[in-house]
Amino acid sequence: MTDQMQNRAARVSGWFNRLACFALVVMMVLSLADVILRRLGAPIPGTYELVGFIGSLVVSFSLADTSVKGGHIAVELIYEKLALKGRIILDVIGNLTGSALFLLLAWQMFGLGGDLKASGEVSATLQMPIHPFVYGSAAGCLLLALVLIAALAGAILKGVKS
Amino acid sequence: MTPAAVGLAGFAFLLFLISLRIPVGFVMAAVGFVGFGLLVSWPAALNLLAKDFFSVFNTYNLTVIPLFILMGQLAHNSGMSGRLFQTAHKFIGHLPGGLALATIGACAGFSAICGSTSATAATMSLVALPQMKRHNYDPALATGVVAAGGSLGILIPPSTIFIIYGVMTEQSVGKLFMAGVLPGLLLTLAFLVTVVVWIRLSPSLWERSPKASFKERVASLAGVGETFVLFVLVMGGLFLGLFTPTEAAAIGAAGTLGIELVLGNLTWRAFLRSLEETTRITCMIFVIVAGATVFGHFLAVTTIPAQMGSFAAGLSLPPFVVIGIILVIYIILGCLMDALAMIMLTIPIFYPVVISLGYDPVWFGVIMVLVTGIGVITPPVGINVYIVSGIARDVPMPVIFRGASRMLIALIVTTLLVILFPGIATYLPGLMK
Repeated sequence: MTDQMQNRAARVSGWFNRLACFALVVMMVLSLADVILRRLGAPIPGTYELVGFIGSLVVSFSLADTSVKGGHIAVELIYEKLALKGRIILDVIGNLTGSALFLLLAWQMFGLGGDLKASGEVSATLQMPIHPFVYGSAAGCLLLALVLIAALAGAILKGVKS
Repeated sequence: MTPAAVGLAGFAFLLFLISLRIPVGFVMAAVGFVGFGLLVSWPAALNLLAKDFFSVFNTYNLTVIPLFILMGQLAHNSGMSGRLFQTAHKFIGHLPGGLALATIGACAGFSAICGSTSATAATMSLVALPQMKRHNYDPALATGVVAAGGSLGILIPPSTIFIIYGVMTEQSVGKLFMAGVLPGLLLTLAFLVTVVVWIRLSPSLWERSPKASFKERVASLAGVGETFVLFVLVMGGLFLGLFTPTEAAAIGAAGTLGIELVLGNLTWRAFLRSLEETTRITCMIFVIVAGATVFGHFLAVTTIPAQMGSFAAGLSLPPFVVIGIILVIYIILGCLMDALAMIMLTIPIFYPVVISLGYDPVWFGVIMVLVTGIGVITPPVGINVYIVSGIARDVPMPVIFRGASRMLIALIVTTLLVILFPGIATYLPGLMK
């Protein structure tokens, strides 16, 4: 059951990461096109804003997959020296802290997005709404929270079994 | 409890949670959030959390990081590091300890494309370790050289640490990049000298490899051509003020992609792998930066940074003694924690101190990068040693630490030289427009 949850979370994280990869390519092409077109006297307006916004999607859409692949830097010094029981306890504490943090973040970011939408806040140059990107970041945080909850459930089950 | 006492308790709790294997970025955000909630208010802390994370994710100046990482990953996955090593091998491989010297040369070359110490150590381990093993190089020498050589990755531009330092302290990333060039070359030289001395003292550590013919040497030069073109294009454009660091990074990434596609070195699979690895490394860095931003806002309300600044300025110690003390703290912290997290945590505290003593912020950036280079190879938490150990599975970790510790001499000497002669760091940025 928890295995299934973890596998499903990993699969969705992988899809999101592919979107992050796509956003990365768009960011590169857009910056390059702007430099070339500027030389020709026709810069792309709002590149500065757009690259920042696309950057937020690159990071937030890869949050969960980075966690699934163990990419977030952590200090293993004590963990490595512990027996199974100790490791399970640390896994529970770690996943609990992480999932609580990213649930809070997702909740607050959805709220922030809602506020920006209600106030009609737009970017300075392109007059583009900002809230979709905040919602994008909130979705990334929520997915990471779900991945960590699945890992937490896995750790608890492992503890119960052992 | 006074705000400063809450700040100190926050620091202690932070170190405790980090030791429990909770990702460093998560811990900084969580402790910063709770601390801010206790000192200011919970609604303000909740607001801070979301705003800090989104503003870091959305910072234009930080988008230079994924683009330079992509450039390095494309270079790695298209075999550029291997070609650099081959060129160095053909030219100096036959000398005493030649393969170790060639590895350092290739590390310096790859650093001109790659801005990460761990990526440089990883890619050069894959390329150089099998060759050194084949020629019976001592495992401590071989692994120590790649682990330490990786530190060139963040000193020779591009460099993720310079970018983050620049964004945090509002210094020009272009100037910081230029400031890293001469110290980077000096460190390369210091590494080469260290290896030569090491080999002289223990001649049994290596086995001679055959001397390449003149024709072979000339043919191998093609392997450096692409690196040279990319470096000149990216850093030249930055130096002349033709484009911003983000644009330079986009040109570098697209240029690497274009050159490797034309040369037929990059497969579709390698391209996809480069993208996936880039998003993962980017995300890891951004989470640490976002977490540290939350923690930094908490630190600001504890008043610790301001108090530290006025405390140091009020001490009647000569400035170089204060710098010495800061360096010792960095070296100790660097042993215990991840280098990026260390920099993010300490800059809000030490930067005002250093500036109040009248030091050049660009020069201090170079010193930061050098102490980071020391931090990545010192036990018990030396990320480059972990990375090399993950690749050279037959070499025990203490052996790699032993090898890397010899190379540490070069890093310490270079740091001291940059402190004694600040011009090594500040000369090139001074020439910029």
